[in-house]
Amino acid sequence: MAIEIVKKSYLFGRGWKSWTPVLLLLPGFGLYMLIGFGPSLATAIYSFTDATGVRGAPINWIGLENYDEFLFRGLASRDNLAALQRTLIFMVVVTTVQFSLGLLLALLLNQQLRGRTFFRTLFFLPVVLGVVIQGLMWKLFLFPGGGPVAEVFGAFGIQSEFLGGAPNEAFVWVMVVQIWANVGITMVIFLAGMQTIDETLYEAARIDGAGGWALFRDITWPQLTPAINTNFLLNIVGSLQAWQLFLVLIGYRPGTQVLGYLVFAEGFGQTTGSVSGAFRQGYAAAASIVLFFLVLILGLSANWIVQYRERKYLG
Amino acid sequence: MRSIRWIAVLAAFVLVLAACGDDDGGDTTTTAAASGEEGGDTTAAPSDGDTTTTAAPLDEPATLRVLVHSQEPMTTFVQDFSKDFEAANPGVTVDVSVVGAGDLATVTQTRLSANDVDVIDMFGFANPVQDYMGDATPPAWQTLIEAGLLLDITDEPWVQNYDEASIAQAGTFQDRVYSVNLGRTVYGGMFVNNDLLASVGVEVPTTWSELVSVCEAVKAAGNECMTNGGADGWPVFVGTYGLLGALYPDQQGLVEGLYTGTVKWDDANTAVLWDRYKVYAQDMLEAGTTGLQHDAATFRYAAGDVAFLPTGAWQAPNLEGEAAFAWSYVPFPGSDNAAENELLFGKYDQGWSIAANSPNVDLAKAYVAAFSDPATYQEFVDVTGFIPTQDTATLNTTLGQSLASYLGNYRVGFEQFWVDPAGAGQWANGSQGASWFQPFNEWDDAAALATQAQIDLQAALDDL
Repeated sequence: MAIEIVKKSYLFGRGWKSWTPVLLLLPGFGLYMLIGFGPSLATAIYSFTDATGVRGAPINWIGLENYDEFLFRGLASRDNLAALQRTLIFMVVVTTVQFSLGLLLALLLNQQLRGRTFFRTLFFLPVVLGVVIQGLMWKLFLFPGGGPVAEVFGAFGIQSEFLGGAPNEAFVWVMVVQIWANVGITMVIFLAGMQTIDETLYEAARIDGAGGWALFRDITWPQLTPAINTNFLLNIVGSLQAWQLFLVLIGYRPGTQVLGYLVFAEGFGQTTGSVSGAFRQGYAAAASIVLFFLVLILGLSANWIVQYRERKYLG
Repeated sequence: MRSIRWIAVLAAFVLVLAACGDDDGGDTTTTAAASGEEGGDTTAAPSDGDTTTTAAPLDEPATLRVLVHSQEPMTTFVQDFSKDFEAANPGVTVDVSVVGAGDLATVTQTRLSANDVDVIDMFGFANPVQDYMGDATPPAWQTLIEAGLLLDITDEPWVQNYDEASIAQAGTFQDRVYSVNLGRTVYGGMFVNNDLLASVGVEVPTTWSELVSVCEAVKAAGNECMTNGGADGWPVFVGTYGLLGALYPDQQGLVEGLYTGTVKWDDANTAVLWDRYKVYAQDMLEAGTTGLQHDAATFRYAAGDVAFLPTGAWQAPNLEGEAAFAWSYVPFPGSDNAAENELLFGKYDQGWSIAANSPNVDLAKAYVAAFSDPATYQEFVDVTGFIPTQDTATLNTTLGQSLASYLGNYRVGFEQFWVDPAGAGQWANGSQGASWFQPFNEWDDAAALATQAQIDLQAALDDL
């Protein structure tokens, strides 16, 4: 049996110098504690209070009252649970469609097609627009009284109120805009992954007689594992936290809220439909903790799937 | 190699120091504003009619931060007035921030908490929590006062420029004054295109039945009955506040009745309300209003082929500039008894409050004092069309002429008294019912919606 002697390398030197990496990490760690973990911890603490977010207003410890109200009190709890359900539907549909569409676009634009740079730019363009711009653009597109989409629908005899109509329909259009706005980044991540795949693998497979589907199934899909995992997680977390488009496209209307928007609306008095709402940041904090656990559970589950795939395909 | 490592460590350290030191960095605006505190006894001088008021000379330049909501032409007036105030007070800069009405409460809260504002446009100062409301959450303005963030202006002489009713109903909390209200506005009525009605050969409707008939006639002649800003949601139900008021003239009593159970959204008396909401939403409003925003609806109406625009009278200044037809503003004829349609419901609109912790308190007082000067206030009323809250002011506009005969019947509306009870479902505030019918939402059955509204309210009342 051969004995392998591994010589330990010291990039930053020996002794106290070996602490250099720790020192280098400290600023980042401190920054994270300050602007990441700190507010998260404060939110968790706030969720047990009646905080309004107004400086100088008394803050009282009310235990689990916010959670009790959010989940069980009156029929507000029914609406909150409906928002929770809507959030999950939004996540499943957006993740599925955005992921699939991003993959399809990446496959198409990874070919030697004429004008592929133009189309890559075109599909990525919405990503660099702000949410407000995205929202305003789509409000114009979806104007029911003669907007371009209404005209196209009208040609087929379809009439729709789009964002201002039935809640379910408005909800579907927000999903469409969310996918349009973010499919570009999904596509780019897939494209980047595809360009790391060794071309000789395809050549060898073709010599062995593999067709297009076999090439995708046995080479592209397994080799894309890191990009797939990244997109999978980003799409899930991104869609669970989405709320700005709801604000810009629909506003606070019964039957359309997702949990993220509910947190904002409760915290900043936007729930009444008038300008004299109440600030309920303790209650909003409780709602955001519920959202946090939802993201945590789904994120961990997704992470488990991701790691399983990595073990399966990459060893 | 070693030196590179140390440079990296040093750079990281400098970054940390820079980050820590940034707090003091420099909101130069705040610093400048703070200097204004030394300006000392800045009292407002009486206006000579040119809308300017002079504060006491300042030792150093100061910036007065004013927050106002977006509502033309009011916003432009405030900006112009601020320029005049700057001209009359050398060294003073007035920084006017304009935000959407829907964002005003949020921005007020954050900027007051950050001590980043001096004069605030106080909106919706009306509905404190009543004893019978149990543990309902107080409205935002009440929280701000209880937190000590709004200045007590009870003893300021210019407060007395405003009428007693407005001070009591839209500026006072627990016997102290925190806001001066700049005008009542009316939302229980509708604009009428008189030329269009004349061309169709019908009269301005004074009852619900007449309104239904007029709408049919107008549509039969190839025009539209009503339009509104459905994309914003709230204009749809605000358009029916007159309908609610015609059926329940005592709006404060209605709120108390709903809380105490003497009135129910689904009782026999209220059933007609939901039926009429439905007719309004589905038969009277033109197709496509779901995509129109509030201001856009006024311009749509100005095109001339729509008979009515049920909305707040605050849109009158926009209409005056755009409409090429004769128009008037009348109470929404929600009842079949014409006498019950003589009431005009509304609310107290914008008011001025001062940040209690402002470093520019005296300058802020001088600003509001100048604004409250009767001559300036008259100009403000002329421009905005608000129903005056100063006894000396008069409403000289087309709107004023329209409203003159109704002003004696002015009443504060439901919105100013209602506070959602904790735990109420999303259909509990039935005053918004018109916006829940198709095409604006999912409901089509008026009776079923009335029942649901009461269930959503009752679930919260049972917990009180």
